[in-house]
Amino acid sequence: MNFSFRRKRISGILAVVPAQERFFIEEMKNFNFPETRSLKLKEVMGFDKHRLVEPGVCVSDLAVFGFEHLFNKGLLRPDDLDALILVTQSPDHFIPPTSNIIQGRLKLKPDTFCLDINQGCSGFVIGLIQAFLLLEQESVRKVAVVNADVLSRKTSPKDRNSFPLIGDAASIAIVERDAEASIIHANLKMDGTRNEILMIPAGGFRLPSTPETAVLNDVGDNNLRARDHLRMDGSAVFNFVQVEVPPLIEALLSQASVPMNAVDYFFCHQPNRFMLQKLADKMQIPYAKMPSNVVENFGNSSGVTIPTVITFNMKERLLKEKLKVCLAGFGVGLTWCAMLLDLGFFDFNNIIEYK
Amino acid sequence: MTSMNRPEFYQRLAEILDVEEVKAEDRLKNFDEWDSLSVLSVLAMADSKYGVAIRAEEIRSVVTAADLAGLVEAKQE
Repeated sequence: MNFSFRRKRISGILAVVPAQERFFIEEMKNFNFPETRSLKLKEVMGFDKHRLVEPGVCVSDLAVFGFEHLFNKGLLRPDDLDALILVTQSPDHFIPPTSNIIQGRLKLKPDTFCLDINQGCSGFVIGLIQAFLLLEQESVRKVAVVNADVLSRKTSPKDRNSFPLIGDAASIAIVERDAEASIIHANLKMDGTRNEILMIPAGGFRLPSTPETAVLNDVGDNNLRARDHLRMDGSAVFNFVQVEVPPLIEALLSQASVPMNAVDYFFCHQPNRFMLQKLADKMQIPYAKMPSNVVENFGNSSGVTIPTVITFNMKERLLKEKLKVCLAGFGVGLTWCAMLLDLGFFDFNNIIEYK
Repeated sequence: MTSMNRPEFYQRLAEILDVEEVKAEDRLKNFDEWDSLSVLSVLAMADSKYGVAIRAEEIRSVVTAADLAGLVEAKQE
């Protein structure tokens, strides 16, 4: 379905990553797999470093750390926030919503609309859509879109199809009104019949965690995984992305009457470098216009990857100029979406380390 | 997309499997490098060179290199 929004802008993005870097070259010793093949995997997929939280660190810890940074640096005033949208698949608890926990820890005013959204790889675009809708209300002037996940805690260290690419992170994007802003277009599709392609089978109400669901099973190629762990059907995801994403982006650009070459950058969700380069090839987009360097530097942090790819690659430029960009998210759900908007003249655009 | 030239397909397969040569009758499971990374690389090759989307399960069910070539060809039709 198509959306359009007027007079809205993103005024700043902050990403929060765990301080300690982990290296694929060290971790590959955990995989039951010849070293030459692990090195091939590293080369093809672009695995190198990633950032994972220490045991016990939760989504609200990363988010609160980020907000405190913004408050302390004078980049955001607590009272200015009218809504806090948290997109996560690794909440602190089932009950209460983690957005309420964050509100409480930061002592934000009672007139704050707190909302948790359970979405993953498309979570940044979905969070922005929700923020833009809220900004139609007169009483809502500033919305924080928080994306945060600590999915390494649900990923088997002995599953080389998932563990090397996973990353933990949080981001805060501030969204507000802007009378001068050009129109923002978005396009979103969902297919729940394919919901099992990306899933954590156990731990919810359908299949509660038990000692049995924690048992590691050989799931092929000597990869060991439990039902408590994240399961990604990599090849199904690959086909899904190649088939569904190019027509979605083409439809969005046509809806906006913007030719492909008028887009300065395509900031996509970051599953791995391989998949993004194949997507760029298929759409005939130069690699320089579609950065794919988040997995090798930070890991795939679900909905946080689009804010991270923006901040990591465009740190200085977005403070000083305006760019026409296309965002694209795809994954869990299955959900796929794209948004065309101008980004720039940010108040802040930074990555900080959580210690 | 071009229709399939079999020798060229086997050469592409050889590159994925890191070997000099792949013959039509070679059994894929006999290659050390026949793993999930190779399966993904075959999916990508089928998509970019032959314009077809094949599923990993379909690849897993074929036995020889010729079967794999046949699978891609069948999808092209």
